[in-house]
Amino acid sequence: MRLFVHPSGDLPLYRQIMQQIAEAIAGARLKPGDKLDSHRDLAEQLVIAPLTVKKAYDELEALGYIETQRGRGTFVCAKLPRVSIEKQREQLRASARSLLSEAYLSGFDYNAVLKIIKDADAEILRGRLKEIS
Amino acid sequence: MSTILEFDNIVRAYKKGVPVLNGVSFGLAEGEVVGLLGRNGAGKTTLIRIAMGLLYPQKGGVHVFGLSPTDDPVAVKQRIGYVSEDQILPGGSSIAELIGFHRYLFPRWDVDLERQLLDRFGLSRTAKIKRLSKGEARQVALLCAICHRPELLLLDEPGGGLDPAARREFLEASIQLLNREGSAILFSSHHLSDVERLGGRVVLLDQGRVRLDCDLDEVREDLCVAVIPKAWAPNAEALERAPGCLRVHLIGDDWHAVFSGAPDEVSKRLEPLLGTARIQCVRVPLEDLFIELVGGKHAAVESGVSS
Repeated sequence: MRLFVHPSGDLPLYRQIMQQIAEAIAGARLKPGDKLDSHRDLAEQLVIAPLTVKKAYDELEALGYIETQRGRGTFVCAKLPRVSIEKQREQLRASARSLLSEAYLSGFDYNAVLKIIKDADAEILRGRLKEIS
Repeated sequence: MSTILEFDNIVRAYKKGVPVLNGVSFGLAEGEVVGLLGRNGAGKTTLIRIAMGLLYPQKGGVHVFGLSPTDDPVAVKQRIGYVSEDQILPGGSSIAELIGFHRYLFPRWDVDLERQLLDRFGLSRTAKIKRLSKGEARQVALLCAICHRPELLLLDEPGGGLDPAARREFLEASIQLLNREGSAILFSSHHLSDVERLGGRVVLLDQGRVRLDCDLDEVREDLCVAVIPKAWAPNAEALERAPGCLRVHLIGDDWHAVFSGAPDEVSKRLEPLLGTARIQCVRVPLEDLFIELVGGKHAAVESGVSS
């Protein structure tokens, strides 16, 4: 899997790494048991400080997405954490509200937003296909 | 973790009564990376030269590995690597001669690392220094600064005057050094994207003092800029008194105020003060934050008020 970072992006670099790995797990491009690059290797690939990658890994580990096995490396957890469905739905509703208000303020209508969501879905799936081929 | 480098209340002036550094204190722990920021003339180079023992502070103290760089220059320099933008290498020597000289000076010189870096940079040992491009010369300087595996690397604007590709190669070598040796690094740079890549902590010098000393991710996540229409606040001081305010200045018809805190929380904090909840607070990239904190022409007047 290839990661990218943008130093002057909206998010700090460690958050960008967290987001991309979480997205890859969500899109099943990374599957339970898959091995991740060591934080030092990833740091050299991305040309960023090793501590920054370590911070991203530590946070993902605290969230229960990945685990470090001493002497073997870092892996996607066999059992991914399950947040309570109700709590998750509440969070998604909040994200949807902010997405919609942002869209309406810029003059998009509901159907246009739906199209954007469909496209994003296709992108996540395409990422998955790219990995398989 | 032990302290590698410590600046304690450093004062240094080149002209009497006009201090460039006026009470600067901060330290670096083992393996820590600190980006030193500030406008031209803020004293970054002066501070790094003081750490190298190339300049005396007029007041205050500097300790490197617990020693004084001017009283114990050999013991200190054995464990430091130093690269600066205006470093002058002996033009008439070949790369091999320059490396030979460094090998002789540093008993801990790592020949494997030397070979690796020469390969990586594509440098020939027989090349004369004066025939090298600016980027290549900087690479030679970096090689000489890190092959004795220093515990502290001082980089004074290491990317200055280099093209983006050469800057990237320089960064790559620095990241490798971090990976292998865990050296502490103090580097000054105007390339804020490089600062983000090397990461760690940032120290911002302004008006001779440390204006900001904070973890880079905290800077990105816990500072925001409030944009307030001019008419809503009578003057800058009224806003500066608000809790967590770091700096206020006027841009066009708006006050721009830098606050510590997340945007929502700062907006709430300002509500009772300004009597409205419609205050726009935004997180901004490091580059914009730098401009918000030290940009503008009236900095001198403001510091007179706040200090």
